[in-house]
Amino acid sequence: MSPIKNNIVLVILLLLTGIPASAQDLLQILEEEQPEQLRYADATFKTTRITFGHSVESRKKGILEIFVANRFWDGPAQRSQSFFADRLSTRLALEYALSDRLSTGLGGTTWDGLFDGFLKYRLIRQSAGKEGASVSVTLFQNASYYSEGVSDPTIEDTFTDRLSFTTQALVASRVNRNFSLQLAPTFVHKGLSYYGEPSRNHFALGVGGRYKLGQHLSFVSEYYWLLNPADSPKTYGPFSIGVNWELGDVMLQFMLTNAVNMVEEAFITGTRNNFNFRSPNLNFGFNFVYVIHFRRNLRD
Amino acid sequence: MNKFIILVYFILVTGQQLVAQKYIARQGRIALFSYTPVENIKAENNQVLSIIDLSKGRIAVSMLMHAFIFEKALMREHFNESYVESDIYPKATFEGEIIDFEPLLAGEQTRIIKGNFTMHGVSQELEIKAKINYVDDGYQLSGNFEAIVDDYHIKIPPLLAGNIAKVISVDFKFEYEPYQE
Repeated sequence: MSPIKNNIVLVILLLLTGIPASAQDLLQILEEEQPEQLRYADATFKTTRITFGHSVESRKKGILEIFVANRFWDGPAQRSQSFFADRLSTRLALEYALSDRLSTGLGGTTWDGLFDGFLKYRLIRQSAGKEGASVSVTLFQNASYYSEGVSDPTIEDTFTDRLSFTTQALVASRVNRNFSLQLAPTFVHKGLSYYGEPSRNHFALGVGGRYKLGQHLSFVSEYYWLLNPADSPKTYGPFSIGVNWELGDVMLQFMLTNAVNMVEEAFITGTRNNFNFRSPNLNFGFNFVYVIHFRRNLRD
Repeated sequence: MNKFIILVYFILVTGQQLVAQKYIARQGRIALFSYTPVENIKAENNQVLSIIDLSKGRIAVSMLMHAFIFEKALMREHFNESYVESDIYPKATFEGEIIDFEPLLAGEQTRIIKGNFTMHGVSQELEIKAKINYVDDGYQLSGNFEAIVDDYHIKIPPLLAGNIAKVISVDFKFEYEPYQE
């Protein structure tokens, strides 16, 4: 072999060794090195409620929410001398996340005298990618105790008669970055209440949605369709439209609704007026949620 | 002669594999700090990827925004949802050059890294001072820089302007090992 040929072979060999080292862009290499991670769709809703009803969302472990829900409405009288509104009902509650999936809460409402507690468990979380679940599912169970007197003196009641239960499977999907939709098949066991009607079981289907108007503001609406309403007194499905606004550790919810009550079985089965803008049908709702983090870790 | 060429070739090839051209860091750490009189916010990402090409003195960094962990869990949601919009811009990247980098210099050297940092879909040219340490066939790189929130078109609502600093301090630390292609 001639020296020239030898040199050519050498050059070719050197080029071959050089090529794989420089052909790739550095960011391209990092792209390939990035491990695949399953990501959940965050913030299907920003708050644990859509308006009056629970959303699939729960808080992360160690978060306590101080939950103050208010409803303001007017009486049927034409003239009234009340300041701002004739009636006010407030539900004060503490809601705590025991884990990222399980949360619980205890509350009391002024106007209807209901004390309630609930457990909420995030069963399935929607994935943000193509693989994994396409919906989130959260199971909800509450119990409430009716603490007010009963109008009919002939009715004998016991502690268990005054308990009501609501069971829900909340199924929601974050359809796109702005729009989320939730369906809520619901079973209600309604205990004793003011009118003294016997306890009975109800089935209902809730529909709710949110549309993000901005980074911190979203439009929300919710409706519960009661499949077997009681004949007397006549009830209507609770409906609401409103906006949710988040401000750091504070969440504010504003809504217009026909539902006076704030505990699940009470507003699903006991809303006595249909939704319109007349008194006393129209309620203005204002929820204030303050979030306290008891767990502050820079690790997952 | 032929044997000699093949010998030279193998020396070159194996030599190249022994002295790696690229070094990678798979668990780089980036910490963000926002100091305001109202609130101090701290976040950390321990899964930052970075690679150095010694032959050209080039460096690249890539991080998933969703991997930042905040002291307050709710802040992580706000960070991804409302500020960096990680559904649209999942990554922040940096690509640049370590100026006057001397790969074989033992011990510590302080160098300027010049390049483009891209976050929230916006690229900014940065010059970052970094310490580079050559130890046990690996490199350590650390330093910090400041990022102006407004430069990356990240909107902070007026009501929260007091809670989030206008300039975020960014600390970084990478430990590189030879990269096998």
